Amino acid sequence: MAQAQRTGRSRHRLILLALTAITLLTVDLNGFGPIESTQRVVRDVLDPVTSLAATAVSPIGDAWNSVFNYGDLEDENAALRAELEALQGAVIRGEADTETLRRLLEATDLPYVGDVERLAAEVKYGSVGNFDDHLITIDKGSRDGVGEGMAVVTGAGMVGRVERVDNATSTVQLISDASLFVGARLVSTDKVGLGHAVPGESGMFVIDRGIDYPDTDDPTLLPEIGSAVVTAGESSYPADVPIGVVRTVRRSTDEASMRVEVELANNVDDLQFVTVLIVEPPSEFPLGAILPATPAGVDPELETGDEGADE
Amino acid sequence: MTILKVGAVFLVSIVLQLTVFVDVRVADVAPELLALVAVLAGFLAGPERGSTIAFGAGLLWDVWLPTPLGLAAMAFATVAFAIGSIEAGLFTDSRLQVSALAFLGTFAAVISYALLGEVVGQRGLVDVELLRVALIAGVLNSLLAPLMMRPMTWALRGPLALGGPAPTRS
Repeated sequence: MAQAQRTGRSRHRLILLALTAITLLTVDLNGFGPIESTQRVVRDVLDPVTSLAATAVSPIGDAWNSVFNYGDLEDENAALRAELEALQGAVIRGEADTETLRRLLEATDLPYVGDVERLAAEVKYGSVGNFDDHLITIDKGSRDGVGEGMAVVTGAGMVGRVERVDNATSTVQLISDASLFVGARLVSTDKVGLGHAVPGESGMFVIDRGIDYPDTDDPTLLPEIGSAVVTAGESSYPADVPIGVVRTVRRSTDEASMRVEVELANNVDDLQFVTVLIVEPPSEFPLGAILPATPAGVDPELETGDEGADE
Repeated sequence: MTILKVGAVFLVSIVLQLTVFVDVRVADVAPELLALVAVLAGFLAGPERGSTIAFGAGLLWDVWLPTPLGLAAMAFATVAFAIGSIEAGLFTDSRLQVSALAFLGTFAAVISYALLGEVVGQRGLVDVELLRVALIAGVLNSLLAPLMMRPMTWALRGPLALGGPAPTRS
């Protein structure tokens, strides 16, 4: 009898906890301010503790990395990689700048990324759990002027967007996250579409929304392989931030739209320093009108039968 | 007093998760310390208290996770309840059994978290990687379980349990 009472009480407790969790989930998913504020306070309160502890236990991480990640070589490689990425970014920027200047001379009104206020930040840590591979935490927060939605870049180009801002730190959603959509401009054709990373394919980005495939077979209407891709002026981010270079071009399954595969300029897997562009993003997503209900995939037949378009 | 002790275990666990286990990973998978706290809470404190403590551990972890608040809390509380509900006679407190329980509990907690996440619209949690992540996190937690048993026993049973007789479940 006592056992049955205990079991019943335990079930009631579990039901109560489940209802509490469902309530929290519902209000958090609806963007209830106090919930986010409370979480921010908890993170801010524990930030000094974790920073202090991180310093104290850093030898453990260093030892682990030196055994499994060849410590000295890793540092050297990181420095060389940063240098190479900066050079690649400069090439793409140069191409974009030239194109932008030409457009400006034609009396178009494109913003110039060089005028944007910037804030350098150090990456505190990458993913903390097992389901946040595309998040990093940087050491700048709201007290430094960082706001949600701001673009984060390096010398090589786009890194991601500020997802969550605390007082002293911010969380950045990396461009490698397939759920992050970026308005992209193909420099060689000046077409604008929406792109996102390709799940499971590191360093690949695909523009599959918003650009029509040309009706004629004229190859000059297709973006050049190896040409630059930058952020669009109509996107949520400052214009002309390098994204990458065009790798392949083909038709989407709907036959009408174009699918452009882009090799990302930035390796976001191993970042140490980044720059936040201090520009408030627009309140509404400017390219929302070209966002279809379902993503356009690639027709497998065309993938093998449309090689000419790639070249 | 128990609340403070459990809070101290929570604090140490979250700090370790955010510092040591950011770097110390196996095949890019970190142990799930808060899930381990939840599993051991269910084991040591039974379904009622255990699920409540597990809920608290999950809620704390939710603050850092990109998913909505309450997701890990619900997953952890459910797993702790299930573990706490298993008949007491099934367990003697050998290290092997505690490790086995930690493996199964963590595996279940990770899978539950991902499935619940998909239910509430969090895309990308259930994919081909999920099984690998759940298995490795389970193995890592099973290795850490004997170490974590001491502070959890201290928090839930008091100082007599430290080096004293094996804890018994309520």
